[in-house]
Amino acid sequence: MIKLGISAFYHDSAVALIINNKVITAVEEERFTGIKHDSSFPYNALSWLLKSNKLQLANINEIHWYESPEKKDNRVRTTFAKKPIRTFFLNRKYKKSKKSQNPKDILESMGYSGKIIYHDHHDSHASFAYYTSHFTDSAILTIDGVGEWETTTISIGTGKKIKKLISINFPNSLGMLYSTITAYLGFKPNEGEYKVMGLAPYGDINVYTDKLLSVFENTSNKYFIDQKPFTWEYSDKVMFSKNLYRLLGIQPRLPEEEINQDHKNLAAALQKVYEIQFTKLLKTAKNITKSKNICLSGGCAYNGVANTLAYNYFDSVYVPFAPSDAGSAIGACLDQHTETTPFLGPEYSDKEVKATLDSYKDRLIFFKLTEDKLIDKTSKLINGGNIVAWFQGKMEFGARALGNRSILANPRDPNMRERLNFVVKKREGFRPFAPAITEERYKQYFDTKEPSPYMGRVMNSKTSYIPSSTHIDGSCRVQTVSKEQNRKFHKLITKIGSYSSIPVVLNTSFNLKDQTITLDPEQAIERYISSQIDYLVINNFLIIKKV
Amino acid sequence: MIFNWIKKKIRKFKEERAFKAKLKELKKRDPFTYKNF
Repeated sequence: MIKLGISAFYHDSAVALIINNKVITAVEEERFTGIKHDSSFPYNALSWLLKSNKLQLANINEIHWYESPEKKDNRVRTTFAKKPIRTFFLNRKYKKSKKSQNPKDILESMGYSGKIIYHDHHDSHASFAYYTSHFTDSAILTIDGVGEWETTTISIGTGKKIKKLISINFPNSLGMLYSTITAYLGFKPNEGEYKVMGLAPYGDINVYTDKLLSVFENTSNKYFIDQKPFTWEYSDKVMFSKNLYRLLGIQPRLPEEEINQDHKNLAAALQKVYEIQFTKLLKTAKNITKSKNICLSGGCAYNGVANTLAYNYFDSVYVPFAPSDAGSAIGACLDQHTETTPFLGPEYSDKEVKATLDSYKDRLIFFKLTEDKLIDKTSKLINGGNIVAWFQGKMEFGARALGNRSILANPRDPNMRERLNFVVKKREGFRPFAPAITEERYKQYFDTKEPSPYMGRVMNSKTSYIPSSTHIDGSCRVQTVSKEQNRKFHKLITKIGSYSSIPVVLNTSFNLKDQTITLDPEQAIERYISSQIDYLVINNFLIIKKV
Repeated sequence: MIFNWIKKKIRKFKEERAFKAKLKELKKRDPFTYKNF
């Protein structure tokens, strides 16, 4: 059975190929178009997927669409009907976009005449998390901005079955609230939430928490959000009204304005409020499922700080590698457990890399080394304070670079964070970097009982030796790396440990400001040449700029 | 007392005007909202 999963038209459009329940390939459209969180139909990703697997659309048995356009249409129309005059132009815009976004029409125009199966948005999130976990029973909590109607769900997975137990519907949405305050703080929704999370530890939670909490009304199992301060039901320009300004008493920040203490305090309050509501949902999930395990999914599962709170109620916590809509392309196709890895994208042979390098001979010097020599040389370069772009094997699926499209550096160097933030990535100085550590040694340095292979959780550091990967509050968004998960990356970190006593490396995605993660060797070289990165490694090629 | 009341009203008016200006500015930018359809 050949299944194709597609997610599109919200954000993070993606395609996935699943053959006999095995995930073969998956890739996001943004990597091909260079548009972050690209929401358009994934033509480029689909074209690559079919070509690389020597398939045509006619070979696909079933296409699984990650949500139900019919139910979504019902929600949008019902919402607009509440304020018909205010939403008149928006409604026209929606109707126009709806025509061009019909999955059946698009797929038919591409020559596909087979079966299309539609799934509920949050069911796709839940399936992706549960069926890629190692749990045979688990609570499943999904939270995002909005799907069709649902914004939050609690389900139970038992064996092959998932049963939904609780749904919270639009406009009550924790994801929307987080994005709204993200926008209020001058960051772009669906992108800037990481920044808000990073900013939160610099603020005082006491200033705005009560004000923000006052918009919530909680029943025993659900939350409701007073809509007066928000406009997400009827505006596609901004998400808040003057009532939010009246509630908070501070002006919204424009992106170019400086971040002051008020902004930090608001970020801290938002994170706190999210954690309070998230904790209530965790308690409910525990009470109604009685499971020892929990799977977290939906875009809000990228909130690694909150995810750690799940250990207060569950013994084991699983956050998949692409919990937002991209992962739903895989989730929509799954109806039973499968073992998979995040390394599902394009890879390039040495021959292809060499051909690309040859065309840059005037600007680069490169050597092909044996793997052992490359690992030894790279670990020495990193320990010596160099920044190395590391491009290996198949590209990661999901927002995190997990050691195949990464920029690596020495986290023990106290100046490295500043150098990377300001000089290389040209981004806000408060943003933290993740440490990647071998799975054998993580318990020694971090306060957690389970590995975190996809940077899904934030944990406290037990060491002061890695200042550039430790946030102001002593926390780290750790990636644990096992031999099975990524052999070469594991070998590199182990080697780094043999020279420095801690097998840990600073790992950040291989992209520069406002760019998507690097796709191919040519892009890698261009980015290397135009940046302050010291060395580039592609497969076993060590590459240096000519002076 | 009246003077204080007027002062307060003027301050509030100015703040709300500043808010409206920022809102207008934000609306001009790239969509500053989470896409919900």
